Amino acid sequence: MKKAIVTLMILLVAASMVFAAGTKEEGTKKEVTLSVLWFNDANESDVFLKTIDDYLKSNPHVKLDLQIVAYSEYDQKLKLMISGGNPPDIARITTNTLSVVVDSLEPIENHVQDVEAVKKEYLPSMVAFATNKDGKFIAYPTEATANGMLVNKTAFDKAGINVDEVSKTWTWAEWETIIAKVLAANPSMKYGLAVDFTPHRFSTLMYQWNGRFLKEDQSNIGFNNSGTVATLKWFKSLHDKNLLPKSVWLGSENPAELFQAGLVAGHIGGSWNINTYNKNVKDFEWKAVRMPKGEINSSVPGGKFVASFKESKNKNEAFRLMAAFADKQHNELYSRDTFNIPSRNDAKVSYPSNSADFEVFLEELKVTPAYTANEWKNTNLSKVTTYIREQIVEVLLGNITAEQAVANVDSRGATYFK
Amino acid sequence: MKAHTKGNFHQTAAPLLFLLPNILIFATFIIIPAIQGLRMSFTEWGVFTEPRFIGLANFSELLGDEVFWKTFSNTLVYSLFTVSLIMVYALMLAMLLHKNSLKGEKLFRSLFYIPSLLSMITVGIAWRFILGDEMGIINYLLRTMGGDGVRWLTDSKLAMVSIITVSIWAQAGYYMVILIAGLQAIPTELYEAATIDGSSAPRTFVSITLPLLRSTLLVVLVLATIASFKAYELIAVMTKGGPGYATKFIVQQVYQVAFLEDRLGYASAMSIVLMIIISLFTVVQFKVSGKEKSYE
Repeated sequence: MKKAIVTLMILLVAASMVFAAGTKEEGTKKEVTLSVLWFNDANESDVFLKTIDDYLKSNPHVKLDLQIVAYSEYDQKLKLMISGGNPPDIARITTNTLSVVVDSLEPIENHVQDVEAVKKEYLPSMVAFATNKDGKFIAYPTEATANGMLVNKTAFDKAGINVDEVSKTWTWAEWETIIAKVLAANPSMKYGLAVDFTPHRFSTLMYQWNGRFLKEDQSNIGFNNSGTVATLKWFKSLHDKNLLPKSVWLGSENPAELFQAGLVAGHIGGSWNINTYNKNVKDFEWKAVRMPKGEINSSVPGGKFVASFKESKNKNEAFRLMAAFADKQHNELYSRDTFNIPSRNDAKVSYPSNSADFEVFLEELKVTPAYTANEWKNTNLSKVTTYIREQIVEVLLGNITAEQAVANVDSRGATYFK
Repeated sequence: MKAHTKGNFHQTAAPLLFLLPNILIFATFIIIPAIQGLRMSFTEWGVFTEPRFIGLANFSELLGDEVFWKTFSNTLVYSLFTVSLIMVYALMLAMLLHKNSLKGEKLFRSLFYIPSLLSMITVGIAWRFILGDEMGIINYLLRTMGGDGVRWLTDSKLAMVSIITVSIWAQAGYYMVILIAGLQAIPTELYEAATIDGSSAPRTFVSITLPLLRSTLLVVLVLATIASFKAYELIAVMTKGGPGYATKFIVQQVYQVAFLEDRLGYASAMSIVLMIIISLFTVVQFKVSGKEKSYE
């Protein structure tokens, strides 16, 4: 009897230990540190952490190892991490980077039940960017971006020009006349417009003049077309007339700094500049206006995403966090605090200021042809953009003609479309 | 069979063992990557694709690559002017500051040496603030005084001059220190004898200083030449290789082709050519300058 009681006691103790262990396993999930690679346009990393704070509090087993890299170094760093077999668990990615790393990204459908339902939550242009050649959805869109024009309203007012009114329908020829008056009325202002030193911003003007990078079927580079040649000649003429500062495209001075210093009347840049100027510009009134018309009106759509990689070590936790970050509530918070256009269809963002400026950028997006996004999605185009930028500068310097530049680009670019 | 004695071990294996850590580091970080680079230069290889052997195709493409040869000639021009001017300037500084007899000599040595302690990125950012067309300090001052700004970084020729000048400013202090050590190693008796013999200062410089400084000058020449061929950070920050291709050097082109155009094989071929050029220059410099004479 005594032996039976002892045996029973041992069994009870063993069973209680087993159940106790099970409870502990369920109650405390395995601790995971997610490596996150990030770059900032302004304050996005801070806002990301603030936005996702509630998720981290309710999932204390998840920790973040956030590595912030300068955008100029970002692509190279990410590519080396991927090729070295050590990609981050989560990375912030632009449309440009997306085209480069697309084949290394883990499809979302491997981690959600109904990927079509997820896709429907986002703007169609963002879904198009985040869909790979096999039709798989490979990144969560976090913000939509567009290129547009921001102007020094105070300078236009000083010249007696109602920029809200004239910009509704202005053409580039009319802009030249108007900007001459603005410069005359503002002696300390030296230039009419600064355009970012990137092929992406140049393409905004190129699309307005019906230019293209690629053949219509994207089978090859197609920079040699009448629209692109016209854009190059016109772009050079604006520099020669001193309407655009040479120091940006020839000397890589920052156009945002020139605008903030009151040296230029306008800046063609990305929608994220609203956030920057909102914080930094105190000396004059500025606003977003519609860009003048060339042959057509056009912007260039873009966006930012978060994505995980096929070789990431903590994909499951990474996808849980990304799904939370990209949901309606978090996307609205993130868009509001970073002054960005939300990527979701259902997001309703009330910005503390500058709502009208975002509307202008959205208007630009609405008139932008679909092929602009498709061109910038092309992986091979991303390999030749630096050469394109160099050839544009060679035209501005007068070293080669516009015709020679487009021929050179087509010759070099064709090697990537073999 | 001859047995190893204690003396043999000390004379043969022990020195090699002491050198082993250095040899391992050198092999891991220099020799093996160089061999790997040579292997890659015969392939077509992107960051995310498997390498494909293409023989000498990368090298034959290089022959007709206008941008490569433009960056090659830019590198030569930059190297020629930077190295020769650095040598003259560093030698002048060393001659002025090596005697330990003038008041404030150590302070000036430190002042000239400090720029070489800074990273080239810091130097580049600082000088871009100084030389910028619109936002630069010098042009601001010129305009305040009623003048026009100078296109230090946006005029093709001036941009190269600016880059060379800043490079000399940033590096001369380092070579000055090496030359000061060389000058201080020259026996003072030789100068005393020359003074007694009535030798003029230029004659003393040509007949005593230069010959006895030959080996130090050779070290400076080789180090400065190699550094000039590898110049990257300063140019990337100050001009990004522009305007156009005006200040773009081979190293920038290698980086662009490898990481932006995703052609690791072709970029490796460029690197191999660069390595051969640097090696040739070094050998020639040793041949021309290395005939040591005894002045005992």
